[in-house]
Amino acid sequence: MQHALHVDRVTKRFGDFVAVNEISLAVPTGTIYGFLGPNGAGKTTTIRMVMSILYPDQGTITVLGNPVPEAVKDRLGYLPEEKGLYKKMKTGELITYFGRLKGMNGHDAKRRSVELLQRFGLGDWVDKKCDTLSKGMGQKVQILATLVHDPELIILDEPFSGLDPVNVELVRDVILALKKEGRTVIFSTHGMEQAEQICDKVLLIHKGKKILDGTLREVKASGPRTVIIDYDGGNGRVFEGLPGVERVNDSGKHAELTLNDRTDRQALLKALVDRITIHRFDTREPSLHEIFVRAVGGHVDE
Amino acid sequence: MTNNKTILVAHREFIDNVKTKGFWIGILIFPILLTAMIIVPQLLEKTRSARQFAVIDQSGWVLDAVREGMIEDTARFVLAREATPEDESELNGLVGREELFAYFVIPPAPETSPAGARYVARNLADDALEDWFSGLVNTVVQERRLAQANLDPVLVRWVQEPVRFEARKIGASGEAEEVSLNDRIRQMAPVGFVYLLWVGVFIIAQMLLTNTVEEKSNRIIEVLLSSVSPVQLMAGKIMGVAWTGAAMLGAWLLSFFLVTKYVPAMLGAPASLDLSFILQDPLYLASFAVYFVLGYLLFAAILVSIGASVNTLKEAQNLMGPVTILLIVPLMAMMPIAQDPNGALAKILSWIPPFTPFVMMNRAAGPPPHVEYLGTTALLLVSIAVALWVAAKVFRVGILMTGKAPTPREILRWIRAPVGSVPGRR
Repeated sequence: MQHALHVDRVTKRFGDFVAVNEISLAVPTGTIYGFLGPNGAGKTTTIRMVMSILYPDQGTITVLGNPVPEAVKDRLGYLPEEKGLYKKMKTGELITYFGRLKGMNGHDAKRRSVELLQRFGLGDWVDKKCDTLSKGMGQKVQILATLVHDPELIILDEPFSGLDPVNVELVRDVILALKKEGRTVIFSTHGMEQAEQICDKVLLIHKGKKILDGTLREVKASGPRTVIIDYDGGNGRVFEGLPGVERVNDSGKHAELTLNDRTDRQALLKALVDRITIHRFDTREPSLHEIFVRAVGGHVDE
Repeated sequence: MTNNKTILVAHREFIDNVKTKGFWIGILIFPILLTAMIIVPQLLEKTRSARQFAVIDQSGWVLDAVREGMIEDTARFVLAREATPEDESELNGLVGREELFAYFVIPPAPETSPAGARYVARNLADDALEDWFSGLVNTVVQERRLAQANLDPVLVRWVQEPVRFEARKIGASGEAEEVSLNDRIRQMAPVGFVYLLWVGVFIIAQMLLTNTVEEKSNRIIEVLLSSVSPVQLMAGKIMGVAWTGAAMLGAWLLSFFLVTKYVPAMLGAPASLDLSFILQDPLYLASFAVYFVLGYLLFAAILVSIGASVNTLKEAQNLMGPVTILLIVPLMAMMPIAQDPNGALAKILSWIPPFTPFVMMNRAAGPPPHVEYLGTTALLLVSIAVALWVAAKVFRVGILMTGKAPTPREILRWIRAPVGSVPGRR
């Protein structure tokens, strides 16, 4: 199977409001795929349709090769954005319960939940009630509950939101571990840094519409390149009239130049050396954030 | 597979409910209250000391005559003192200090002029002594009057003999049968069942509402929905809470049976207090079981919709108002229906689905004709089907909605919208 998920021109309306507008995407099996976009962009609605919690008004969704997503529900793992636990249940019981809801038998679900808790350092908490867990541990238990039944495709909605850096790292490690096991992971985020670090492919959506998608390399190549310069001297108009420079962000000693696709960086450097003393000349790829801001027209409501 | 998941949800719900303190308090409170209701009056009776009283007999013969025919009841009343009119202020002091319960003043000639007869006590609420002693005095005074009028007391008693109508009822055999005390209790027993039914339906439907709201505000719903469909989830919750309720009511009925059968005997009370026979009437038990399930399903459908549409218990309480009013009607109609199980009020209310379970249970002593059983139950079943269908639609949309609680108009739109589409909010 080529694609773990194939979404074809899917639209979802809530009354008059179009939450998802003709979105198409394909997630290759065994990759980490990021849904990126600001809050309210339509990420959660798209994910809910994949999980058959909502149904598309138009278009088709093929999950794990099956055009009826509902039929493969038990092979998917899902961590919603709004996360909750049954406070009075023990962690082991809770994970077992979710495993059984996914069609596992009681014995397997129980064995696997203990195994997962031990593997992720929560072995001592099997018999503790969920309301005794710290926030980070609670998050871990929730993620484990989505993994108990060995899903082929795991969908995590905003898995990093509200976490401290230690737990962000922890969740990232879990995602990478899943990839190593050959599973497909889709996650959504409105913060671009995590996506940049771990995604193979990304999708940028804004106001329900796809802005662009592709591998991280493709997406970055489509964006503008930047040069960072630390310098001394000049008369304040150093960067005027340079060939191939689209935008300048000059702070006096430090400047960021946005280049267009055809700019010859060697020529640019040569031109600058004549005008100023250069301490640093650093070309780099644009960040996803820059690409995104440019793509949506410089304005993002976060 | 589908049913399997529903059962899993129901099972978890049941275990969760059974682990709460409220459930065990609910189970235990009933037999404790019932035992207390039997034991406390008996204990009070036993611990009450005999009433000490005094008599000022100005006639000179009444007290002697009373004493002659007096059936001693020293356990309850003790004539402590025969006094004279001069002792009255002293007696007042004794009564005031509660050293004496009361005293009687008998006028000089009660047979001609009863004026001046007095009963002086501090506690006028307890009139057992007054009733007992005045009854005795009246008997001797009446006899004295009859003698003075040269009337034969035996003749007079015969003249006064009332005609007593013996109550009989037409039983299942079509023959008139004697009416026992048990028959009278049996006649009123449905009231008890209605009350139990009402409390049971109310408590557990409320439990369903609370659980649904909590689950929704817990944000756990969405994880569940990635594994089960909204309908499976709703059905599982309704089923799980029903098991909880059935366990509670079952425990209540069992404890009622055990307490009424064994506790009075343990206290040495007469066997007439054995009410356990009520539970051996198949019609009552069957009505109770069937109407519990049906009544619960109807109210469960209403409350699970409310629970799915709101975000907090407070919002839920606001929407609960009309439902509570609806539930109060059968409670208010309980006594009139028990007195006239096949009357107009009973017949009309039976055909209103939210009242059907309670009213039909109430009428079980009648019992209503088969046609009414069939008709009202069919109507009730149709209502339950409609209510569950509506609940499923409201649940499907409402369960994922957060933010402001929806207006009734919005909920109406949810019900009309085709499955799968999500109506907007205006």
